[in-house]
Amino acid sequence: MKDRIDGLIARCRGEIATCTCVQSLTECKVKFLGKNGELTAILRGMKDLSPEDKPIIGSLVNKARDELANELTIAEQSLKQAELNSKLNNEKVDITWVKNTDKSGTLHPLTKIQNLIIDSFVPMGFEVLEGPEIETEYYNFEALNVPADHPARDMQDTFYITQNILLRTHTSPNQVRTMEAKKPPIKMLCPGRTYRADYDASHSPVFHQIEGLVIDENLTLCDLMGTLECVARKLFSADTKVRFRPSYFPFTEPSVEVDVSCCKCGGVGCSVCKGTGWVEILGAGMVHPYVLENCGIDSNKYTGFAFGLGVERMAMIKYGITDIRLFFENDKRFLKQFNK
Amino acid sequence: MKLPISWLKEYVDIGDITPIELCEKLVNAGFEVEEIIYRGEGMSNVVVGRILDISKHPDADKLLVCRIDIGKEVLQIVTGAPNVFIGAVVPVATHNSYLPCGKHITRGRLRGVESNGMLCGGEELCVTEDIYHGASVDGILILNDNEIIGEDMVKVLGLDDYVLDISITANRPDCGSVYGMCREIAGILGNQCKELDLTYNITVDKDIKQYVNVKVYDVDLCTNYAMSVVDNVTIAQSPLWLTRRLSAVGLRGINNLVDITNYVLIELGQPMHAFDYADITDKTIIVRRANKGENITLLDDKEYSLGEQMLVIADKTKPVGLAGIMGGVKSGIKQDTKTVAFESAIFAKGSIRHTSKDLNVRSDSSARFERGLDDYTSLLALDRALHLVQQLKCGQVVKGQIKIGEYTGLREIKFDKSRIVKLLGIEVPDKDIVRILNGLGILATIEKTTLNCIIPPYRADLTRPCDLIEEIIRIYGYSHITPTLLEDCRITIGGRSSVDTDINKIKGLLVSCGYNEIVTYSFGGRLTYEKLSVDKNADLSNNIKLLNPLGEEFSLMRRTLVADMLEVIAGNQSRHNEQLSLFELAKVYLTDKLPLESLPIEQRRLCVASTCQDAFYTVKDDLLSLLARMGIDASVTSCQCEYLHPNISASLMCGDRVIGSVGLVHPTVADNYNIKSAVCVAELDVDTILSVKDDNIKYKSVPRFPAIERDFALVADIDMQSGKIIELIRKYCKHSESARVFDVYCGDQVGNNKKSIAINVVFRGEGTLTDSDIEGEIKKCLSELNRQLNVVLRV
Repeated sequence: MKDRIDGLIARCRGEIATCTCVQSLTECKVKFLGKNGELTAILRGMKDLSPEDKPIIGSLVNKARDELANELTIAEQSLKQAELNSKLNNEKVDITWVKNTDKSGTLHPLTKIQNLIIDSFVPMGFEVLEGPEIETEYYNFEALNVPADHPARDMQDTFYITQNILLRTHTSPNQVRTMEAKKPPIKMLCPGRTYRADYDASHSPVFHQIEGLVIDENLTLCDLMGTLECVARKLFSADTKVRFRPSYFPFTEPSVEVDVSCCKCGGVGCSVCKGTGWVEILGAGMVHPYVLENCGIDSNKYTGFAFGLGVERMAMIKYGITDIRLFFENDKRFLKQFNK
Repeated sequence: MKLPISWLKEYVDIGDITPIELCEKLVNAGFEVEEIIYRGEGMSNVVVGRILDISKHPDADKLLVCRIDIGKEVLQIVTGAPNVFIGAVVPVATHNSYLPCGKHITRGRLRGVESNGMLCGGEELCVTEDIYHGASVDGILILNDNEIIGEDMVKVLGLDDYVLDISITANRPDCGSVYGMCREIAGILGNQCKELDLTYNITVDKDIKQYVNVKVYDVDLCTNYAMSVVDNVTIAQSPLWLTRRLSAVGLRGINNLVDITNYVLIELGQPMHAFDYADITDKTIIVRRANKGENITLLDDKEYSLGEQMLVIADKTKPVGLAGIMGGVKSGIKQDTKTVAFESAIFAKGSIRHTSKDLNVRSDSSARFERGLDDYTSLLALDRALHLVQQLKCGQVVKGQIKIGEYTGLREIKFDKSRIVKLLGIEVPDKDIVRILNGLGILATIEKTTLNCIIPPYRADLTRPCDLIEEIIRIYGYSHITPTLLEDCRITIGGRSSVDTDINKIKGLLVSCGYNEIVTYSFGGRLTYEKLSVDKNADLSNNIKLLNPLGEEFSLMRRTLVADMLEVIAGNQSRHNEQLSLFELAKVYLTDKLPLESLPIEQRRLCVASTCQDAFYTVKDDLLSLLARMGIDASVTSCQCEYLHPNISASLMCGDRVIGSVGLVHPTVADNYNIKSAVCVAELDVDTILSVKDDNIKYKSVPRFPAIERDFALVADIDMQSGKIIELIRKYCKHSESARVFDVYCGDQVGNNKKSIAINVVFRGEGTLTDSDIEGEIKKCLSELNRQLNVVLRV
């Protein structure tokens, strides 16, 4: 009997060794250990054995069963692993093939710059308020201390719709609208389209400005410089310096042109700053008392500053764009460059 | 304005400051310098020489060989000019010299004879009679005998000088003249500015009133009018020192009297007019508005018909000049003029501007009046002109002056000097305040804390304390300002407006769907908008029109973003940029009533377009998901939109409100724009989207019970909108949680004019559903589909 068991073990092992797939291994398992398998048959035949033999043979059969079951499991695991390896080996892609090109959308560079600027001012407590692009002469000029026949009207070639309705030439009318609607303290930012009759590589009849206005007690020219320096550092680099040059706007007094140290050369002089080390970025000044009084704000108690920033100009400086018309041509090859 | 440094030096001692250093100081004081011009630019190594002898060229009849002394050496030069003679003093372009006409002269041989340079004529040196008398002679420029041999010609011609082209801000018309700028520069440098020489002797004892009578009828347009008369004038060429100065600022010499008025114009900024007294009928000058139908021929030889608001200078019978703009052709100075009346007046800038604009006639004079001039200077100008008459010995000054109108005196502004630190944020020492203001001609004193300022009459721009504070800091220097960050201000919260935030969100969503943002002009032309209609005949009568556009193509405010979008697509396609997915978010300008009486509606619109594969479904579905992200459960219905494909187009709805439309561009319209591929375009009303959006998030518990999924294959008419089937399924299957189309099939197996639509429906309930729970509703639903839509289950 023992020989028979040993023979069975040997045959089973032989078959396990020849199995090349999980399927044949399962068949082998059924053949020897299954309900009708050979080892099971031996177990069934135990009833015919003598009482002395029964425990001996029983233990032999059980031992053989455990050993074979274990060997079958190990063989199965190794076969499964081999099958998986072979499957993975056959699954291949060309990792260098770019299948979906050109899918990235972009914001327009003017939107990007506008967002950058707004996001620099908002944490300082500025709120964003917009105003109409089609304005009255009153808000665009008169309330800003530019009466009819004032020579400053020449500075801004205005598009008119009627005698006293026009396309705003700057975002400054929103200074007046804001001061009429709100009481100090005011910190306002007004982005939007503006219009002037001018058309060449550095002037577009449609362009974008961002107006800033701060009104409170104890505000000084030093605060204007500090605020602009803070923002210039966020926009350009941490060591950007700000410089004021005297200028003239009817609605601010004193009025200044604001230069920043050239972000390209760091102030040494290059083509961007035309060798001066400075780049003009905006006009600003202390709000003219006439404008304050016009809006019902006590000019003895309150002071304020305002600035008007050209978005196209900032974008041209920041991205090194030399022709303003590119912004409005919307060539895909231009737009795609601003996808970062 | 142009400021010759040599002229500046007559009034201000600028020491050894270079032009570049001076420019820097000007910029820091608020004067932009556009250009620094060296008048001798382009001329080098041209010197004065004397011809020692002349011999004939051995091989050329027309050439002469000269030996010329140029001081340090004697040169042999061949010339072709016949007007040379022994002893003549001439300009010599030596070896390696440059001429302003662009020529480079080098040593060489002319027909075998060595020539070490060239003798120059006036034309080659680019000089006229205004620079050197005799310059217009054909041939070599013969110089005065007393010129120093060997001297640089740049110096001889008075061209060793710089001219600064300075731009003057609109508030400083007083700086639009040489003397005004001298005054300013003296203030900037802290130096003195010499007084103008206004002296002259009266040599005709007869009073001016016996010569001329002036009446100003329209004092609103002519606030001041002054006149002097010069008798026994001799019309002649002006001296070189005067014409050279005029030439430096770009004016030509005409004759002594006219040149004097031009000189005064440049020096003091006051336009003057010189009348030939003989042309003034009845010895009377009347300043009045033109009569209806009156005409005048001006100095430009053109006839103008005048309006009733235009101011003229007239005699008793006719206008003789257009006030402040241009004199009449008949009243000017002539060779035989014997008596001259000088006018120096102030005309209202608005009137000058309008007249000049309406007649389209501009002059140096009108430009200055438009900027605004002061009456004080107008009197200086008259005296200065009389001084020059005497200096040039070209006439005799008649006793007396006519002066009509109020002349401005000194004004006082006083304020507490604490306002300076309140505005600037820095203290300026008292002694600097006084020094700076005095330097600018403002007499300043400080008593205790009060700053007293006496304002000179030519500074009309100084009216309030802040104007004076600006003067102080402008000269004290903005470099003294130190940045502070709103230290004493109250806190404001700030932030983007909700509109701004939502717009950024919409843009962000589109960008992540692969769209590129574009920005186009707010106005366009008839052509662009007309192309939106199939027959190019769109009604543009409601578009707001600009009165003064840059051109017709920029004249109409847009009522839609679609036209510009299609232009951008066409433009890109013409450059072979394919696969376009674009959007623009901008305003359109709407009104029912033209001409405008009040401000129109500015409505924000979103325009989205794509030329991608399956563009209609892509754009529509992107927009639906965008709207869903705004909390809007939008639906679609068929739409009638002229520029869209009649069948492949839809309205986007929020309930009953139309939010916008989406569809393939009508092939004829696409053709109008020269678009070469199918393109889907959508335009949405952003303001409506923002008014109906709901971005409140309220948590609902996640379903705990399992769902049952069922797929239905339904056969429907070929035109059936699947949305209608889904609507019925959702309505009659009470447990349905969602229903979506996952396949559509047309073909033989479903028959002609039919299609098979495969729909997946998910059922879920407040407990675990069994098949029997939903059998009833499915049955009901199928029978309703059949009854209402003629839709049946596919067998």
